[in-house]
Amino acid sequence: MRRTLLFIVGGLLVGGILHVVIVFLVPYYAGRDAYAAIGELGPDGQFHLLPMANAGNEAAMPGLDPRLMEAVCRFDLSSGPIHVHAAMPDDFWSVAVFDTLSRNVYSLTDRAAEGTGLDLALLTSVQMAQARQNPPPWLETSIALELPIDAGIIVLRALVPDDSLLPAVTTALTGAVCSGPLAVSG
Amino acid sequence: MRFLIDLIIAVAVAVAVGVGSAWYAVSKGHLFGGVTVGAWTAWPQDGSLDADPYALARLARTGEIPLGAGEGLAFTATADSQGAPLDGRCIYAVAGETPAARLWTLTAVDAAGQLMANIAQRQGITSRDVVRSVDGDFTVSVAATVQPGNWLSIAAVPRFDLVLRLYDTPLATGAQLATLTMPAVSKVSCP
Repeated sequence: MRRTLLFIVGGLLVGGILHVVIVFLVPYYAGRDAYAAIGELGPDGQFHLLPMANAGNEAAMPGLDPRLMEAVCRFDLSSGPIHVHAAMPDDFWSVAVFDTLSRNVYSLTDRAAEGTGLDLALLTSVQMAQARQNPPPWLETSIALELPIDAGIIVLRALVPDDSLLPAVTTALTGAVCSGPLAVSG
Repeated sequence: MRFLIDLIIAVAVAVAVGVGSAWYAVSKGHLFGGVTVGAWTAWPQDGSLDADPYALARLARTGEIPLGAGEGLAFTATADSQGAPLDGRCIYAVAGETPAARLWTLTAVDAAGQLMANIAQRQGITSRDVVRSVDGDFTVSVAATVQPGNWLSIAAVPRFDLVLRLYDTPLATGAQLATLTMPAVSKVSCP
């Protein structure tokens, strides 16, 4: 009986280790995360407009604000920097960069961007160093973001103040570009 | 033989405890870093690089994309200011003021976190739509039936959550968050 008790205690300890291992592994094996879901929307390197969140159509991406419209893009910096630009609406909009585990590495709103244009260049630290040596023309005009990641997600969000502005916001987000690679030297 | 039975028991305990607790913790996800103000709770670390393993595992399972720190902050209320769980068959008033933000949206989701079909066919109310009193405060009625004034239309479900998203807000750290004024959520009537 005492031996069985010992085995149960041992089982509990192994269970604790199992708990930690599972929790740490879930993000890498979940397969239902945002990065995977966006990959199913279409090719990488371009924005995909998400339908406005409403009852019954949240399958593509749950938990989005139903009063905002979103466009998402998967990017990969391994072949060169990425250029993100869009003519955004006059009202509130924001842009956020996430890594493949949906951790936010950068975000800004229209007010921080000063003006209605969105013009970002996403680079790795190595690409940034190369670009600084011989600055290409886009380094002057774009906001250069040195990212600690090689691949991830860009999310554009824009307020739809009322239904009459839906077409304008749709046009703005449909015209958004996240293409690459940019030349790292001028 | 005895050893084999003991081993089977040990393995069964390990799997049940390990997998069960991991599954529970991951589906709950929001274990650490919550900041509660009145009825509202926010998880500012949720999608940050400092997110804890449970929060990361939860995000991976739901497929959600959280708000970035520079975009805004989302608060959730699962109960009213008295602590009673929110019931879609009751009428609630969300009243007061929000912390400084350029824009806020107030929406409601069901117990599974999904938006609900409602008679107004409108999801949420924003700081642009809301009609305020002279002193700048506002009152939003949350109900499944038509209400005068600011009305957030929901479905008559037994349980729902309110989500208040503040955009372009200077709030960033937990220290600031603890002293915030958030709108009160009070039950007006129940059938």
